[in-house]
Amino acid sequence: MVTTIIEVVITGLLMGGLYALIAVGLSLQYGVARILNISHGEFIMLGGLTTWSLYTALGVNPLLSLAICGPLAFALGFVIHRTLFKRLLDTAASPGVFESNSMLAAFGLMFIIQNVALIAWGSEIRGYSYLTTPVHFLGTLFGANRLLTFGMALLIGLVFYLFLNLTRTGKAIRAAAQDPTTAGLMGVNINHMLALCFGLGAAMAGVGGVLISMCYPVHGVMGLEYTVIAIIVVVLGGLGSIPGSFMGGFILGLVGSIVTFLEPGLALVAYYVIFILLLLIRPTGLLGR
Amino acid sequence: MLEVHALNTFYGKMQVLWDVSLQVREGEIVAIVGSNGAGKTTLLNSILGLVRPASGTVTFLGRRIDGLPSHAIAEQGLAIVPEGGRVFPEMTVRENLEIGAYLSRAWKSRKEMLERIYRLFPILKERERQLARTLSGGERQMLAIARALMSRPRLCLLDEPSYGLAPVLVMEIFRVMQSLREQGITILLVEQNVRRALEIADRAYVLENGHICMEGACAELLESDHIRRAYLGM
Ligand SMILES: Nc1ncnc2c1ncn2[C@@H]1O[C@H](COP(=O)(O)OP(=O)(O)O)[C@@H](O)[C@H]1O
Ligand SMILES: [Mg+2]
Repeated sequence: MVTTIIEVVITGLLMGGLYALIAVGLSLQYGVARILNISHGEFIMLGGLTTWSLYTALGVNPLLSLAICGPLAFALGFVIHRTLFKRLLDTAASPGVFESNSMLAAFGLMFIIQNVALIAWGSEIRGYSYLTTPVHFLGTLFGANRLLTFGMALLIGLVFYLFLNLTRTGKAIRAAAQDPTTAGLMGVNINHMLALCFGLGAAMAGVGGVLISMCYPVHGVMGLEYTVIAIIVVVLGGLGSIPGSFMGGFILGLVGSIVTFLEPGLALVAYYVIFILLLLIRPTGLLGR
Repeated sequence: MLEVHALNTFYGKMQVLWDVSLQVREGEIVAIVGSNGAGKTTLLNSILGLVRPASGTVTFLGRRIDGLPSHAIAEQGLAIVPEGGRVFPEMTVRENLEIGAYLSRAWKSRKEMLERIYRLFPILKERERQLARTLSGGERQMLAIARALMSRPRLCLLDEPSYGLAPVLVMEIFRVMQSLREQGITILLVEQNVRRALEIADRAYVLENGHICMEGACAELLESDHIRRAYLGM
């Protein structure tokens, strides 16, 4: 019994690390660039399927895929912002108009990316096994791949946290998130920062997809579920807070793991229930003010 | 140094600035005074590229800057202390100052500049690690001025830096402005506090309903009947 509880809790925390990582990406895109990126999960899917192809066709180590998919997703996100969202921003009459237009555009993007992926990879579920060696942990057994992905998610989260807090560009991103007009007056090129943030958010999704594929099967229509999860985690943890995203990720991961243990298949329903309760009781998030 | 020529600025169909022209020469303190709603902030925003004037030109150090995005204008050596300070609330005092030095030429020497700033504003050194939102109104204004200085500007624009502050703090702000001039920074000061502004500045422009209705040396303006009656309550 005790072992079962420990197992459920650890499974939840391991999953939560991944949730946190993809939520940090979404939070960056919404918090700074003001784009509620409904296509976030599609970048996760692209990362996962690309890793699968590289691994099965060329034998590329999935860890190496991180270094391939991260920059690729960044470039894709950066270019999409420069072309699509920048244009919407220039033509929008007000920030509110931009927010709704950009969300619709992201919706469109979701369908485009999804269909391209279905053409490229088909609709089959793709999986590979990597580092599945069992590791003993507090009397339970976990695949080494699970522990590795958790460690990587924490590491990437930490590096990004340090980037935001210690570097010149990181500070400019935070300033732009708080007051873009004034940041511009300090010499920060706002358009550049927005594209950078959208790209970084996409990179985190791509990298998240790589990590997910190390443990779970991936397929062309997996994206939306992760988008929903990322949105819930961001609302749980409060927008723009990295520690908040990790806390939200862990909470959601735990809930998912407990519900899956009791009644597999109901996890997503449980997430929605949490989401609705949260919006009713504390819409600013657990750590938000 | 700064030359504004025949600016006309609108919000929608409403015209706020009418043929506004002014000049700031190197080393001067120039004041723009006028009551609430006269268009002072709009004038600064037109200079900084935050609102696009319908016509007119802005020249800084011999270069046209109208039409440039605001970050490019900052790069030319123009800094602003916005109305109300507009410090970044969720960043520490020190981080706010560092963002002030964001421009690459200022970034390299930010440590040295930070020391000078802390000597000028010891209170900011004490509050270094506090979030800006926890500061008092006066401290925020100080931080906004200090942040503008971090970029090592040639010209500093200040939008009502003393607004809403207790008299002691107003004195302090004006003392700081005096010391900026001594460091060779040119100042364009926007104020509703007409008496103080005319006391510290060399020259001033009087803005009424979007028109420059008077200009001249402050000593002369202080003697003018219109100014004495309309702004000094005499
Ligand atoms: N963003 C805006 N949109 C529409 N009207 C504005 C805006 N900002 C200012 N105004 C109007 O322009 C006029 C001048 O305002 P402002 O430049 O802020 O004056 P001041 O700084 O001298 O108090 C006022 O009538 C004000 O209501
Ligand atoms: Mg004003």
